Amino acid sequence: MEYFQDNLPLEGIKVLETAQGVSGPYAGKLLASLGAQVVKVELPEGDWSRHIPPFLAESNHKESSALYLYNNTGKKSVVLDWRTAEGLQKLIDLSTSSDVLIEDWDSSERKSLRIDQETFRADNPRLVEISITPFGLSGPYNEYKSTPIIQLALGGVLNLIGNPGQEPLMLPGHQPDYLTGINASNAVQIALWDRDFFGNAGSFLELTMLETLANVHQAPLDMDGGIRQRSGHRQSPLSSNGFPPGVCTVAAKDGYITFGGGSPGIWEQLCLMLGRLDLFEDENFSNVFENPESGPIVDRVMESWMASKTRAEVFEEASSIWMLPVSPVKNINEVLDDQQYAARKAFQTVFHPEAGEASYPSPTFIADGKKMHISRAPLIGEHTKEYV
Amino acid sequence: MSKESSGTVTDTISTGALRNLRVIDLTRVWAGPLGTRALADFGAEIIKVSDPRIPLSRVGKVNDKLNRNKLNIALRLDKPEGRDVFLDLVSIADVVIENFRPRVMRNLDVTYDRLLEVNPNLLMCSMPGFGLDGPYSEYPAFGSTAEAMAGINSMIGYDPQRPLQTGLSYADPVSGLNLVSTILAFARRRGLTGKGNFIDLALADSPLGTLGEYFVANSSNGYIQKPHGNVHTQYSPHGAFRCKGNDQWIAISITNDVQWSRFKDQVNDPRLSRTCYANVSSRKNDENTINKIIEEWTLNKDATELMELLQVEGIPSGKVSNNLEVLNDVHLNARDYFSYLTPEDGEEEKYDGQAIPGNQKEREEWFPMKNLGEDSSNILLNYLGYSKLKYLSLIENEVIS
Repeated sequence: MEYFQDNLPLEGIKVLETAQGVSGPYAGKLLASLGAQVVKVELPEGDWSRHIPPFLAESNHKESSALYLYNNTGKKSVVLDWRTAEGLQKLIDLSTSSDVLIEDWDSSERKSLRIDQETFRADNPRLVEISITPFGLSGPYNEYKSTPIIQLALGGVLNLIGNPGQEPLMLPGHQPDYLTGINASNAVQIALWDRDFFGNAGSFLELTMLETLANVHQAPLDMDGGIRQRSGHRQSPLSSNGFPPGVCTVAAKDGYITFGGGSPGIWEQLCLMLGRLDLFEDENFSNVFENPESGPIVDRVMESWMASKTRAEVFEEASSIWMLPVSPVKNINEVLDDQQYAARKAFQTVFHPEAGEASYPSPTFIADGKKMHISRAPLIGEHTKEYV
Repeated sequence: MSKESSGTVTDTISTGALRNLRVIDLTRVWAGPLGTRALADFGAEIIKVSDPRIPLSRVGKVNDKLNRNKLNIALRLDKPEGRDVFLDLVSIADVVIENFRPRVMRNLDVTYDRLLEVNPNLLMCSMPGFGLDGPYSEYPAFGSTAEAMAGINSMIGYDPQRPLQTGLSYADPVSGLNLVSTILAFARRRGLTGKGNFIDLALADSPLGTLGEYFVANSSNGYIQKPHGNVHTQYSPHGAFRCKGNDQWIAISITNDVQWSRFKDQVNDPRLSRTCYANVSSRKNDENTINKIIEEWTLNKDATELMELLQVEGIPSGKVSNNLEVLNDVHLNARDYFSYLTPEDGEEEKYDGQAIPGNQKEREEWFPMKNLGEDSSNILLNYLGYSKLKYLSLIENEVIS
């Protein structure tokens, strides 16, 4: 597969990024993959994600954190200490020739740095400045400290994962930050649209992780007054249509399989595959949430049918013959080896002088049959001389 | 951007940064509608094409939530006359988005190549389960199964041998948000170059992007993370602790030793004050013991009050909110995050707002989900300039409703 190269969508857009970690940097990475020139400004100690394991190199961890390497592809790195008056002035100077500034200073940092909404935009009204924080710059939580599990807790997501009555579980890694990073790319591009196709000025945008999480619930939050519970390996009903087996994760010979559910048609196909049309015709099995005891029975029927079959065999048969929405639960290494992902060049090999070669997810779409190309993350301060 | 020549529209949408973008929206269920809702909230004109035989389900108000600010035309794409109407719609559109299984668009003979014949500048996005090509391309997929394929479930659970699902159909919201970024980029390109593109945005691909560090690490040194409750690789303590009340919990995440020092003073239990615990690696060694002592302390406390107390001390903590508690959250409400919509036949309802900041369509102009075919006559008569006679014959032949 060739890479998409002609007239990249964001060619000519200059982005300055002081944001650290995942949300802001992921936004910068997305914009870079779409053709923007992204200059990452790092403090002398480097973006904090440089210090997060796992590391790819035995030594020189600062240049080999997987989190940093992934989230900073396609950027240049300039070191500047914006905590000093001189450094801040240099940052302001850099911003005057930029279209976009991605920053993540929360209320207390803004106070101590003496930065406000005009600091960067006074001399450059075309600038689109996006502030990305956990809770925003106003409101009761604006100075609250946060990590991904805290976001997931307050955003109503933690409560949905895990077994009923047991400790609620987090999503792995930095999911709230990634979702917010995508929304930052969305917000920046909308503001650029407004600026470039309507001739409006730039803008100051306040994006929060909590609001992003509150947006990713499928059902309305009021749920007709009901409370959605954790439900272990079976997804809670979004409505009263609890067709078995719901959405469930059950064991095959060599691991687990997730079945999608939710309609009588799918339930019928599943019963046909299992050779148990009697279950489809049995009223006691018509609604797994009204008859909770029916769920474990269906689980056992499915697991005994799968006991001698591998995940790959179940996936193939259920998908191609019975047209059931189903998938093996794949480990990370199995995803890297998957034939569908390989056929679509979902990963590309990137070489880094300190960290070596690794497989990076490509930007997750294909345009005119082509993937966007990504290039390695910068060494710390690799481009300082060019810019300062 | 829509051509001026198509501006024979009566009720033109007038506010929002994307007010000059017209999208024909064939997407159903969740990922697509979530993405096109974001475009709609910024003033893009979303023409949702429904099947007149399939009523928009109001169960659980999931459709109501996802389809605000969109026009609705009900059209039989499988009838030749309906397909002609669709092609006329495409001819005045900037973007077409669909999420059928790949063979559906082929069978209807409305693939990108065909649509280019009526609109040479068209931007189109397909959102198939596994993608338009490759060995799984015709297999069905949902957000719940696509998340398993992408590897996220292999890292969720209590027991390393027992993966659990997210319960969120996670591939759906990630794809929905990705749709916005991708469409905007290529719409911009189209605005600048006059050329459209075809985008293949598979449901199963989107979560790969939010798990990048795991793939980079695994491909380099075999690093693998198994389900391990809420244990964190660096922070300790880290998890959810039971509080007073039914299924009430607080999440606590201590990221450094200074926070720990303040935290143990709050708990004020001699078992936690041991000097050896001042250091994160020693806390990690005794994590289960420490967590049990903490839960003895949290068990008779109110989760919200405890969060407020700990946050004053600068300790990352948050109440584990359920859906109703998110809806009533003091911070989200103080920031005016939520939206309020009143359907024609009912009372005002409170929905999530739009997290993406910027020049949104003015709130007074937001409208609830339209009924099936509610805008059919306006679109056919005013946008497409059909005669009344033609419109009536399409109704009579059950092509539209």
